[in-house]
Amino acid sequence: MTKRLKAAERRATILAVAKVLFADKGYHGVSVDEIATRLGVSPAVLYQHFPSKEALYEAVLTEIAGRRESYVEAVVAEPNDFASVLLRMTQVYARSVARDPDYLIMEMHSVLDGSAAAKQFFTNRWKSFTDYVEYSLAELARDGQVDPVDPRTAGLMFQGMLREALYAKCIEKSERFRDVPLDELVDRLVAMFLQAVGYRRTRSPRRPQAASNAR
Amino acid sequence: MSDFDAELDARGLNCPLPILRAKKAINDLGPGQVLKVVATDPGSVKDFEAFCKQTGHELLASEENGGEFVFRIKKAA
Repeated sequence: MTKRLKAAERRATILAVAKVLFADKGYHGVSVDEIATRLGVSPAVLYQHFPSKEALYEAVLTEIAGRRESYVEAVVAEPNDFASVLLRMTQVYARSVARDPDYLIMEMHSVLDGSAAAKQFFTNRWKSFTDYVEYSLAELARDGQVDPVDPRTAGLMFQGMLREALYAKCIEKSERFRDVPLDELVDRLVAMFLQAVGYRRTRSPRRPQAASNAR
Repeated sequence: MSDFDAELDARGLNCPLPILRAKKAINDLGPGQVLKVVATDPGSVKDFEAFCKQTGHELLASEENGGEFVFRIKKAA
């Protein structure tokens, strides 16, 4: 790599190479020396841009997150019922993961790596969904539009379901779902989730739980 | 005399909840009235810029104060 690259370009190159290595081996599996060797520079050059390996790792995560599409349009667009907004948000997220599966791989590494910053980062990302599901289900239950399920458990179910689907399609590239486009898989999963929580598009008076299972 | 007509505490909430709750709060305001939002999600800065651009409401102010992000949004006429 030429030493004449401008600082911004060099920083971008460092981030790109570091991302590939972190996705491949996890935070603890990669050394600064290895990143520097792959770049063809000395570690001192890396430290000019990032004070530590952890800072570099956080910068990689932040850059990937910065390229994620916003959920604002999903929330503002019509129709704006819970089901429609949830589906749009999920599609935005799923497509961003499909474009950059290294992100999901880094998330999986982070669960085992023990990097507090990484854990916090990924928890915050899922929080968008779990907060939205929990908040919405609590409101919808008051209006009789969902069964009186525990919102936190429902949020966990949604997160687990979506993460597993993304893993199967984008990383494992499972044979079982090879013929199902990601968008369609997302549609099916969201529909099943809505059915599981007893979602009804129109408000109804609250009914006893046994009767509310009738559809 | 305050410079807003309603206040929304969105601290601790991640996107899209600050936007969602702001959208509902603004619905209850009259044209020209101002909603103040306090959030802690750093992503809320870009989110509220996009929200105002997409809805036509005016982002009067966007400030950071000790880890809290404060927005003032004027409802479109």
